[in-house]
This record gives sequence, C-alpha cells and structure tokens, in this order.
Amino acid sequence: MKCQKCKVKNATTQVKRVVNGEYEEYMLCADCAHEMGFDNIFDNSMPDMFGGLIKSLFGTALPARSQATRCPVCGSSFGDISNTGKVGCAKCYEAFLSDLLPSIRRIHGNTTHCGKSPESPAISDKSVADMPTSPTVQELKAELEQAVKEQNFEYAAQLRDKIKEMEESTNE
Amino acid sequence: MSEPVVISSRVRLARNLADYPFPCRMTDAQRAEVVEKVRLAVKNLPDEFMFVLMEDISELDTVAMVERHLISPDFADSTKGRALAVTKDESISIMINEEDHLRIQVIKPGLSLKEAYDIADRIDTELQRELHFAFDNKLGYLTQCPTNLGTGMRASVMMHLCALGESHAVSRIAGNLGKLGFVIRGTYGEGSDASSALYQLSNQVTLGISEKSAIENLMNICNQLAESELNTRARLMESMEYQDKISRSMGILLTARLISHAEAVKLLSNVRLGITEGLIEDVSIETIDSLMLSIQPASLMRAQGKKLTPSERDKARAQLIRETLR
Repeated sequence: MKCQKCKVKNATTQVKRVVNGEYEEYMLCADCAHEMGFDNIFDNSMPDMFGGLIKSLFGTALPARSQATRCPVCGSSFGDISNTGKVGCAKCYEAFLSDLLPSIRRIHGNTTHCGKSPESPAISDKSVADMPTSPTVQELKAELEQAVKEQNFEYAAQLRDKIKEMEESTNE
Repeated sequence: MSEPVVISSRVRLARNLADYPFPCRMTDAQRAEVVEKVRLAVKNLPDEFMFVLMEDISELDTVAMVERHLISPDFADSTKGRALAVTKDESISIMINEEDHLRIQVIKPGLSLKEAYDIADRIDTELQRELHFAFDNKLGYLTQCPTNLGTGMRASVMMHLCALGESHAVSRIAGNLGKLGFVIRGTYGEGSDASSALYQLSNQVTLGISEKSAIENLMNICNQLAESELNTRARLMESMEYQDKISRSMGILLTARLISHAEAVKLLSNVRLGITEGLIEDVSIETIDSLMLSIQPASLMRAQGKKLTPSERDKARAQLIRETLR
C-alpha cells in the first residue's frame, strides 16, 4: 500500500486516532510520518495534520501566533479583535487573515468577494460576478488548521469531510 | 408610491479610508481628519448636502434623526468626532465615523431597492474618485466588523406585516429566512413589541454575493412575504370581529385626548390595514406612514419646539393624530 500523503513511497506506519468521537486511520510512509510528528512515541501531544505540516515547513521562521503578535499598522492583537468583534484597520485583515477566515466563512458561508470593486465599478452588473466561487482545498486546509487550534472540532470535522470529498473528486 | 405592505426601502454601503485605522482604533485627531476629507469630497458631489458635526446639534434633534431612521442609535449615543452629510429631502445621508468611516445610506418610499442602490452606487463611485477606500481583491471592501465585508451593502425593506404578525407566522418564517442569509426583525423594540406589526427584512450575507444578486434575492423574499401577508389579510377581514377592531381603532384615534406611543402605533397599524383592505376610505396610507414617524417622542417634541413630560407628549400626540385624521 502506498503512503496516503505522498502517494509515492510504501506505507509503513499506521496512525489511528479519534478526533471529536470520530475514528480516523492513515497509512503513511516513514518519512511522511516523521514529518508529521507521528514517529515520536514519547510525545503524546500529536500535532494536528496540517498545523504540524506547516510548522515543519517553516520551522522557526514563522512567528508564534500569540497574543503578542500585533498588527504592524494599528497595533491590534488577534485577541483584541476576537474580544471586541472589531477589526482595527485594513492591514489587520492581512496580518490575521488565517485567524479571521474561519469566522468570515461562518458569517458569510464564503470567503471570496464578488461584486463592485474600485477598479471596475460596473462589475456588479455583469452576470459573471454573480457566480459564487468555491473555496480551494488550500483555503479549506488553512481553515481546518485554525478550527483545530480553536478546538472547534465539529466545524473541523465538517471541513475535513469537505476536503476529502474535494480531493477524491479531483483524483478521479 | 404607496404599497399595501412595503413601507420603505433602504440601502447602505459601508466604506473605509485605506490610510486610517477603523473608527475603534482612531485618535481624536484622526477622526477630525477623516471628517474633513469626507466633507471636501461630499462638497464635490452633484447633490446638495447639508453637513453637520454631530456635537453641534441638540440631543433632541439627534434622537429625532434616529426616529426618522436617518442615523443609527449608536451614532446618536456618542457624537464626538462624528458628522453627518444629508440631502434636504433626507433621502441620501452619509454617516461619518460611525462603525465605519462612511456609511452611505439611501431611503426611498415603497419597494424601490434598485433605485435606492443605484443612487448609493453612484455616490460611492463619485466619492471614490477623491477618497481611497480600503479594498481587498479577495475580501472586497474592508470593514470594521467582518459581518459587512465584501460589498459592504445592507439592503432592507420596512414591511407592514400585521396579518402575519397576528398569526405568529413571522417568528416561524424568521428561522427559515436565517438559513437563506436574511434577517427579519420588529422595528419598534426587539421582538417583544410585535403589536406594531412593522418589520425590517434585510440581507445578512455581504461576501461572495454581488450587490445585484443580493438585491434580487431580497426582492424575491419580500414579494413572497407580501403575497402571503395579503392572503392572510383577506382571510382576517372575513371576520366581523376583525372589521370591528379596525373601526374601533379609527374611533379611538379620532377621539382620544391622551395616547401613548405604543397604543398609537398599534391602532395606526390597524387603520393602515383597514385602508389597504378598503374598509377605511378617506385616509391615505401616506398619511398613516408619516404619522407613524411624527408621533415618536423626539419628533413630537421637536415639532413642538420644547421638551415635554411623558403625559404632555401623550396629549400632544393625541392632538396631532386627531388633527391629521380629521
């Protein structure tokens, strides 16, 4: 059996876990298992699938997302934003995009604007602008990572199913 | 213009200047700068706007503006560093430094969402020649609250749903509307005061749907609700008890010497129904709709030019209604 992640090497590591009451099973090769932190039997705090992946890719270059991370323009932290429900400035949307996306999707069911824009004010009249765009697998994965961080497991499970569905349909 | 169910349509666009923090993070100096920038941009619009600093006007005038739906209650609460640009007929207004730097609002009588949007759209396009609005290709117009991201457009219709309200159908419909991305709420007090039968239906989703689609969807829902309201009204009117209730309401309004705001709204709602169903003929819907606005406490005191105690208001209100309906 091939590794379910890289789909190249032979799977040698079986990972079983229960997330939010749902049983999951992966078959991974040694390299992928190591990359995702599943090989350290002394470490019980297994990183979540994608969070672990991203951290291992960026190493220490990625600043730790914490209360101390602040918007370079207005000085808001993500804590300020989630406590008040108010975003500090336009730049905050860039600085905290991955933190904000799950809430934005919950509110609007969508994360991509269509309609008027300052460059093409007339776009709202075009029917093509009316087509809702679907999120990409990449976007959903970022959201999944955030949902797991927030321990919003119900939402994470929905996202996981959606990603699986999308990946399967592209593989077909 | 008058429609039996839809009283008025409103469209508002939320916009922010890219070079300033959103209002929750602004200093007093920045607030003043934004007010000045917008004032200059508004001056160049073809429409004639009155420009007022909210600190300069009396509390009574401010509350009366809330009653006329010209400004939000929040905008009236704290007036520091805030300004309002408004046309003479009050159909177009721009709140400055409310929750967002600009809230462009257009109100039109009846079901005129498209007309209202076209005006708001034109004002926005003209303003953006001079003001640099915060916009992101993915998230659309950036707003202080993520609930307004995307188009920044909230479109709403004020509806007189007395029959559906009476049969408690509105609360059942409200749940389903929520799933479709719309919200309906009572306009006089949240939920509790269903007696007024005035409801506001608006879109909730602003990201991922164009202005045009959002307005079309809202109009569809609005038309369906209006049709269902009219059918329910026709059934209600078959009962002699209901016809009696409407005639008595008119009787009280014509003769009362003291009347509270809540009672007046309830009775005016009954009379409005009587007019649309042909039971009352010598009063117009416009008269009732304008009374609904002018009998509110601050509007009443403003017309009288002085502060009144609650019982003085009840007296003035009863008099205004008697004189108007006679």
